[in-house]
Amino acid sequence: MEDNELFGKLKGAIVEGDSGKLTLLVQGSIDKTDALEMVEKGMMPGMAEVGNKFSEGQVYLPELLMAADAWEEAMKILKPKLMASGASIKKQGTVVIGTVQTDVHDIGKNIVANLLTSAGFDVHDVGSDTPATEFFNKAEEVGADIIAASAIMSTTVPYQKDIIDLLESKGLRDKYIVMVGGGVVSQEWADKIGADGYGELASDAVDVAKKLVAKKKGA
Amino acid sequence: MISFLEVLERATTGPMMSAKEYDMKVFIPAVREVVKKYKIKFDSNNPCPCDDDLADRIYQAGLELYSQVGTYCTNTERIIHFTKEEIEEAVYECPKVVYFGEGPDRVQWHGRMPGDNTLPHCHVGSGTNTTEDVALKMVEAYGRITKAKTVSIPSLTTVGNLEGSLGSPMETLVGINMMRIARDGLRRAGRPGMAIIDLHPSCASGIATIASSNPEFGARKSDGWIVAPRAELKISYDSLNQVAYLSSWGANIGQEAGPIMGGYAGGPEGTAIVTLAYAFHGILVVRATYHLTYPIQMLNVCSTTPEMIYVISTSSQAFARNIGAPYYALGYASAGPATKQYFYEAAAYLLAIQSSGIGIEDVHPNKAVGTNQALPIDSEFTCSFGHGNVGITRKEANSIIKKLMEKYMPSIKNPPKGRSLYECYDLETMKPDDELCKLYDEVIKELKGHGINFK
Repeated sequence: MEDNELFGKLKGAIVEGDSGKLTLLVQGSIDKTDALEMVEKGMMPGMAEVGNKFSEGQVYLPELLMAADAWEEAMKILKPKLMASGASIKKQGTVVIGTVQTDVHDIGKNIVANLLTSAGFDVHDVGSDTPATEFFNKAEEVGADIIAASAIMSTTVPYQKDIIDLLESKGLRDKYIVMVGGGVVSQEWADKIGADGYGELASDAVDVAKKLVAKKKGA
Repeated sequence: MISFLEVLERATTGPMMSAKEYDMKVFIPAVREVVKKYKIKFDSNNPCPCDDDLADRIYQAGLELYSQVGTYCTNTERIIHFTKEEIEEAVYECPKVVYFGEGPDRVQWHGRMPGDNTLPHCHVGSGTNTTEDVALKMVEAYGRITKAKTVSIPSLTTVGNLEGSLGSPMETLVGINMMRIARDGLRRAGRPGMAIIDLHPSCASGIATIASSNPEFGARKSDGWIVAPRAELKISYDSLNQVAYLSSWGANIGQEAGPIMGGYAGGPEGTAIVTLAYAFHGILVVRATYHLTYPIQMLNVCSTTPEMIYVISTSSQAFARNIGAPYYALGYASAGPATKQYFYEAAAYLLAIQSSGIGIEDVHPNKAVGTNQALPIDSEFTCSFGHGNVGITRKEANSIIKKLMEKYMPSIKNPPKGRSLYECYDLETMKPDDELCKLYDEVIKELKGHGINFK
């Protein structure tokens, strides 16, 4: 199989969320084709297409999750090869994402995490009901650019401010971009607590993250 | 109906798996299967279908779905399963009439049918964010609407300058404070026995809800106490603790669900089925005697698009025709308050739910985001609409909804922001300003021109 044909099939398997097909394709090609090219020319465009289709309302969360699952399974095979060759995937940035303390809602957070992954961000999900210190510790551990905190209820949004307070108390506020989102979160609230970014819709998060990372790296 | 104790036992003995496995390997495949099997297909030309067979297929699909996926308990990581026979028995035995409130303000709420010639249950108010300084006047204003049968009270987030974050002692104090304010507001409106049925919007935790239920603070078991799930079809011990307490108290328990279109349920077809399936969860797990639903769309975070009108109308028809218990729906308009677009969206949503045979509630402006966005005039509109359109058919509703959509769909993604309570009301008299009165008169005239009546 020509490389371009393979890349097209890898992309198609991601778009279909067909983990079995993707795994077979990767296993069958890993000794013949460059692992980094398989990721960057096949799988990443597939993830981007699924992300775009989701943002346009053409596919829904199940398709997004199935694509992400397929990606993860394939990466289990590809990662050792990538590490051995010293190659690294081009990343838009590194994000630590979670739902704030006491808030157990995770659909919105999961969608944003998957959209960011599909757009090329390295995403570390710290789950739901997550204290500010866990966001911070993970951000330090992975060298994050962005801390993204979701809160869905009016009684849980104050915990978004706790993350900013914690960073300020440690003198590290400028080290991280803090993005906030969730059902009751507004630009007004984001401004009030001094967050760097806010997206009304899950699909806004990718554009906001890209702009803020570009601004940070350009600064 | 199987007992609550049996439900709790199944929560500790049912099949065990992670929440992710439940979503990916149980829930999503089962939804896809029933959508296909029962041939449910969204038709953008008929957002409010007049199709009894479709409604009954959605009911059967929801029944089959729930018998397969049950309710996932997040604490025990187990599925609480029910057989089809157990679900059908529970539907047969669940109360079809529920009583709310006390004394002369006591009301009876019964199920309706699509196109029913009886008055729908008119519920008013909003559990959205409201500042402490106007909360009392808002409840009083709701109580003064004589056509309103029951009320939702605002959500406070503060006591003084302290915020009531979830799980903190402040949440408990905010909940108690709002309970006192609400009862006082209804007394000032001359309706001390009127039932508050969205308890408790200021308390998301079980402990705060239970604390606020002390009659000393004005709470009653003849009010309505809502127990929320986690999306989709999941429940925590915190919520089951509320059920344990409320059912032991003998209180009216409501199940609320806000299925997300675009989320685990997939498209409009799956979301309609899941919305219906929540009723079974409500009856069996939450022990609910009344049901509130508010499906929303993930992308626009509102419920007035063609897809969402389809979801609410078809699932409501399925419920009304096959279950017949008290049921009402809450819509989220994209447009902000005091705008013509808000009233167009609200009218479209109310047409869908009233003609589909369920109770009505104020459509919330601005996607229920922001503070002091709900206006008493929204409640006047709801009740006047409900009384004016008794007996409206789904066919008539569908035709008007499509005309209204032509007005608001072009700006659904960039809606007018409108004006908050502070900007368009005299807070002393709680009367709308001249600009809003003029806009309201114009919009009512316009809606009448489309065949909608107001009383």
